Amino acid sequence: MTIALTVNGRRHELEVQPNELLLNLLRDRLQLTGTKYGCGLGECGACTVLLDGRPILSCQTLAVSVAGRSITTIEGVAGEAGGQHPLQEAFLEEGAVQCGYCTPGMILSAKALLDRNPDPSTDDIRHALRGNFCRCTGYVGILAAVKAAARKMRSAPAH
Amino acid sequence: MPNTRLIPARFTYHRPGRLQEALELLARLPAPRVLAGGTDLLIQIKTGECQPEALVQVLDIQELAAFTVAAGAAGLTVGAAVPLYRLEEEKLLAARYTALHEAVRALASVQIRTMATLGGNLCNASPSADTSGPLIVLGAEAEIAGLSGGKVALRRVGMAKFFTGPGATVLQPGELLVALRLPEPPAASGSAFLKLGRVTLDMAKVSASAYLEREGGRLRAVRLAVGGAAPTPVRALAVEKALSGAAFSPSAVQKAVARVQESISPIDDVRSTAEYRRLMAPVVLRDAILTAWRRAGGEVKE
Repeated sequence: MTIALTVNGRRHELEVQPNELLLNLLRDRLQLTGTKYGCGLGECGACTVLLDGRPILSCQTLAVSVAGRSITTIEGVAGEAGGQHPLQEAFLEEGAVQCGYCTPGMILSAKALLDRNPDPSTDDIRHALRGNFCRCTGYVGILAAVKAAARKMRSAPAH
Repeated sequence: MPNTRLIPARFTYHRPGRLQEALELLARLPAPRVLAGGTDLLIQIKTGECQPEALVQVLDIQELAAFTVAAGAAGLTVGAAVPLYRLEEEKLLAARYTALHEAVRALASVQIRTMATLGGNLCNASPSADTSGPLIVLGAEAEIAGLSGGKVALRRVGMAKFFTGPGATVLQPGELLVALRLPEPPAASGSAFLKLGRVTLDMAKVSASAYLEREGGRLRAVRLAVGGAAPTPVRALAVEKALSGAAFSPSAVQKAVARVQESISPIDDVRSTAEYRRLMAPVVLRDAILTAWRRAGGEVKE
């Protein structure tokens, strides 16, 4: 089946099989390898991407089912200008990254939160990131980074 | 463990836009399965637990996408294919159908709630599905569509009768859950949902849902359900009977909830033990009743 979808602002027309997962379309065919395969069972959140601005699990999504929709991956968060999204800067500054495997999903879930709620409480952040597991950092740095990014984005709302 | 990175199984994919078309596909295709958000079904396909030859995705059908919270007595209609995040974000739901709102908010993760639908959570029919108990106690009815003489025929089933076993419902092959309809709760009523899990992302070890109506210091109608402690979500009928019409007091509630044991038959599984579930079912049920009472405007004191 042929589907059209927009990934990070670019439109693609692709021939897909009904059993093809969005995760593999992104990684293997569009070479967007920032999206990670973790558990494959909807537990860990490493494969999180945004579908029309909301976080979904790309390992649990048939590519054919998102025809016509808009996907954002970690490669697309900084926008056309390049550089880094305030969340990416904050994750580096706060030491919220160790092995880095969970980081793309973590940042996308956090972006979806901050795009809707520019001033989240700690509870709001924990609720929003509940589906993203990190096995290295202990989450403290991640919470600090999301708060720091929220402050940055409120003072310079470019993103 | 299977390789969960991809789906080796082959199937055809169909995305009907109309209810009639969906029912015709389900009647005509070999080994079809209804696909909504896919958060349960795609895992079952990955693990080989389910081997459909055709998937019929029902997200575009108007009747299944309906979501109306009426201001008057018309109550609440939630189409089976409405994603859970929309229920989470609806403020009127939090105010009037509190137990359902709490259950949705407690369910899995943001990603899952973005994808998963109310109908999917119900049709998958896990004994501990979070939304089942609140729908039972809030008096929801399931609207089910099938084909009769080539035409769409609708029937309604009360939620308490919807589940027939683990993974099993009253839906016949070829039938489709269309919507859930809930009556408007009266003034001086309240509801609550509580669950115990290892971490918040997990499915419940045991859960309790309570709905009650208050008349001064007395309880009028009381409906209670327990999840994760029997092959299906169950009403705690003996506890309901003990409390309906009774004067409210925490000690009366404490005494009554012991009778939840008459309604449950828990087992040991990966999430918990039968013993723990037996011990905790009355505790979560009590706490749900006390919370619902406060929400109905009552005070909790001896």
